[in-house]
Amino acid sequence: MKTLATLLTLLYFVAPSAAQNVDLGTDAQREAGRLMYNAKCSHCHGARGAGDGAATAFLRPAPRDFTTGTFKFRTTENGELPTDEDIRRSIRQGMPYTGMPPWPQLSEQEVDNLMYYIKTFSDFFSGPFAEVTALDMPSPPSITDESIVRGREVFLENSCIDCHGNLGRGDGPSGPTLTDQWDIPIRAADLTKRWTFRGGSTRSDIYRTFTTGLDGSPMPAFDIQPIEDQWALVNYVHSLSRDEADYSTYATSVFTTAAIDPSAGADAFSAAPEAFFAMVGQVIEPGRSFFPGVNGLAVRAMHNADHIGIMLQWNDMSADTDGINGPGLEVPIWPNDTDTTQAFSDAVAIQFPSGDGSGGGLPYLLFGDVSNSVDLWFADLSTPRADHYVGNGSGNLTASGMDYETSASYEDGQWTVIIKRDRTLDGQITFEDAAFAPVLFSVWDGFSRERGNRRGLTSWTYLYLEPAETESPLGPMAMYGLITLLLGLGATTLIRRKYSNVSA
Amino acid sequence: MNLLVILAIIAAWIGLRFLKANSLAWAAGIWVGLYVGLSYGINPPLPSSILSMFMAIITLALVTYLTAGNDRMKEMADTIVTFVVDKRYTGALIGVLIALPLLVSFKVYLNMTQAPEPPISGRTIHPVPPNTITVNGSPFNIVEGHNPYRELESSDPDAFALHLENGRRVYYQNCVFCHGDNMEGDGQFAHGLDPIPANFQDATTIAMLQESYLYWRVAKGGPGLPSESTPWLSAMPAWENFLTEEEMWDVIMFLYDYTGQRPRVSEEVH
Repeated sequence: MKTLATLLTLLYFVAPSAAQNVDLGTDAQREAGRLMYNAKCSHCHGARGAGDGAATAFLRPAPRDFTTGTFKFRTTENGELPTDEDIRRSIRQGMPYTGMPPWPQLSEQEVDNLMYYIKTFSDFFSGPFAEVTALDMPSPPSITDESIVRGREVFLENSCIDCHGNLGRGDGPSGPTLTDQWDIPIRAADLTKRWTFRGGSTRSDIYRTFTTGLDGSPMPAFDIQPIEDQWALVNYVHSLSRDEADYSTYATSVFTTAAIDPSAGADAFSAAPEAFFAMVGQVIEPGRSFFPGVNGLAVRAMHNADHIGIMLQWNDMSADTDGINGPGLEVPIWPNDTDTTQAFSDAVAIQFPSGDGSGGGLPYLLFGDVSNSVDLWFADLSTPRADHYVGNGSGNLTASGMDYETSASYEDGQWTVIIKRDRTLDGQITFEDAAFAPVLFSVWDGFSRERGNRRGLTSWTYLYLEPAETESPLGPMAMYGLITLLLGLGATTLIRRKYSNVSA
Repeated sequence: MNLLVILAIIAAWIGLRFLKANSLAWAAGIWVGLYVGLSYGINPPLPSSILSMFMAIITLALVTYLTAGNDRMKEMADTIVTFVVDKRYTGALIGVLIALPLLVSFKVYLNMTQAPEPPISGRTIHPVPPNTITVNGSPFNIVEGHNPYRELESSDPDAFALHLENGRRVYYQNCVFCHGDNMEGDGQFAHGLDPIPANFQDATTIAMLQESYLYWRVAKGGPGLPSESTPWLSAMPAWENFLTEEEMWDVIMFLYDYTGQRPRVSEEVH
C-alpha cells in the first residue's frame, strides 16, 4: 500500500513536467548529424537547412525550410515547435508520394544525431519557445456507422469542403489558389487516397493532422468539441478511401449484349471491374514532368460483338476546359517554363501498338518509335472529340483526321471520359476475345500546364477481353474425374489379379 | 525468400529421414516439398507457367531415379503391390481411389477458373554492350575505353572531390526521382515503372559492371538496349540528350562513391 502511495506521489510530480527539457544533443552528436545530413539530406533541404538544395526546384511539395522552425507533422499546438519524437518520426517514416523517403536503414543513434543537427538550423530550438509539450493523442475508438454519418456533418460544419471538396477529392473551390507559407503552390490532400497522406494514413495520424494542423501549409488546426465529433471526422475521412492503392497489372473488359454508348455515362460500366494504375511523371524525354497533376487512373472497359468502350476516371481539382492541348505540343525545359499567356486544357490519351502486334516487341513507350508506331486516341477535354494520331515517337505524331465517339464529364473533382471504338479497324489493333492487348495511358493536367511531353503516364500494361461465354468447368471436371477413377480401378484390378498370391 | 515455408519443408524432410521412409515415400516427399517451396517459398512468386516447367523436370528426374536400379524398382513395385493387394490396406485403397479423381477434378476446376495471366516478357538485365558507341558525336570504345576522370582519385583527390560533388548535383536533379534517395531503385516514381529502376546498392548491379558499361547505359538509356532487353518498356532516358559527357562520368563516380561499391576493372592481358 505504501509503495502505491509513493508511486502516485511520484506520478503527481512527474506528470506536469512531461514538457520536454530542451535537449540539443552533444557536440559529437550534432557533428555526426552534420556529416549524415550533408551526405543524405542537403541536396534537397540545402546546406544550411533553408530548403534550397540542388533538387528543390524539381520537388513539390517543396523540401522543408528548417530555418523558420515551422514543421508540418507535430503532436504540439499549432504554431509550436515539434517534439524530438515528431522530428524522429518524420525522418523514419518519410512522406509518401513526395521526394522525402522513409529512412528505415538509419539506426536510432543516427536519427537522433540528424534530429539534433536539424535543430541547429533554427534559433527557436534554443530560445524561449523551445520547451513544448506533446498534446494527448488518444487511441482511436472503434469505427461505427453512426460516427461516419456524424463525421460527414462535422466535415461540412467545419468547411473542410472548401479545400478538400464535397467528396474529398481535393477539389474544393479554394484548391487552385492554395500556396504554402513560402508562396509555392500546394494541393489540398485527396482524401480518397489515404496512401498518399504525407503525415501517415492511420486513424491516429489523421487525428494528429487535423487537431494540430500542418504548419506552413493552409491546413489549420481544428478544435472540434465534443471529442466524439473529432473521432467522427476521423472515421469519415478514413471511410473515404481504401487502405492501399492496390495498383493493377491489367484491366479487364467484360462482355455485354447491350450497345456501347459513351453518352450513357459511368453507370453503364458498373458491371466492369475497376483497374487502378499508378501514374507518374514523364521524366524520360525533354519536357520532363516532375510533379504530375494526376497520380492514379481508374480504368473500366466493356465490349460487345462489334465495339469496345473504355472508361477512364481520375481526380482533378479543377476541370480545365479552356485553352488547347495536344500530344505533340512543344514544352520548354522545367523550370524555364515561365510564359503563362497560353492556357492548357485537361486531356487524356490511350495508346495501343499499331497493327496486330505480331512483330515480337512493342513500340517505345513514349508514343512509339520510328519502326514501330502506336495508335493514340487523344481526347482534348476542351473539345467533345477523341482524335486519332499515329505516333512514331515524341515530336513525330500525325493526326489521321479520324475521331472516335467520346463523352467527357466532370463532377465533384472527378473526370469521366469514355471512348468507343470498333473492335476491328484497318491498320489498328484488333480486340480479340480472351487476348491481352498492350495499352498505355497518359493524362495531361491543364492546371499544371501539362502538354506534349509534360504529362503523367503509366507503364505499358494490358487490356484483357473476357470472352462472351466462359465454358462451365463442370463437364471437364466430371470427365477427368471419371477417367482417373476408371484408370485407378483398372490398375487395382490388374495388380490384384496378378499378385493376389503374393499377399502374405 | 519465405523462410518459414523453407524451414517447414526441411523439417518435414528430416521427419522422413527419422521415419526411415522408403524410396517411394521419399520421392513423394521431395516432389511435394519442392512444389510447396517453389510455389510459396520464393518472392516474387514464380509465374505458373515457369512453375509447371520446373515441376515437369522434377517429376521426370524422380521417375528416372526410382526406376534407375533393379533394387529400387523392386522396392517401389513391392510397396505398391502390397498396398493394393494386402487386405489390411483395403480401406486406405478405397480412400485413394476416391480421393484421386476428386483431386483431379479440383485441379481442372482451378485451371478453368483462375484469372488470366498477362504475357510474360523475359528480359536480359545486363545485355552484352556494343563494342563502340557514339556519344553526342564522339566515338567511345566500351571494351577498351575507360573513365577519363577515375585516375584523379589517386593523382588529384581535390579535383576528384569536385567531380563527385558535381555528380551529386546531377544525381539529385535527374536520377533521384526513379533510383531513389538511397539509390535502392525506390524513388518517388518507381511504383509506376515496370521494369523497376535499378538498385545500385545491390551487389549484382554496378558492383559487377565496369564504368564504361555504365557509361553506355547512362548515355543510351532504354532506347539503346538490344531487343532482348525490351527497350520499349524501359523508362531510363538516353542521358546524352540532357547531360554532357563529363556530367555522365561524374554521376557514375558519384554512384560508386555513395554506395561504397567499386567499379569492376578489366584485368590486364599479358
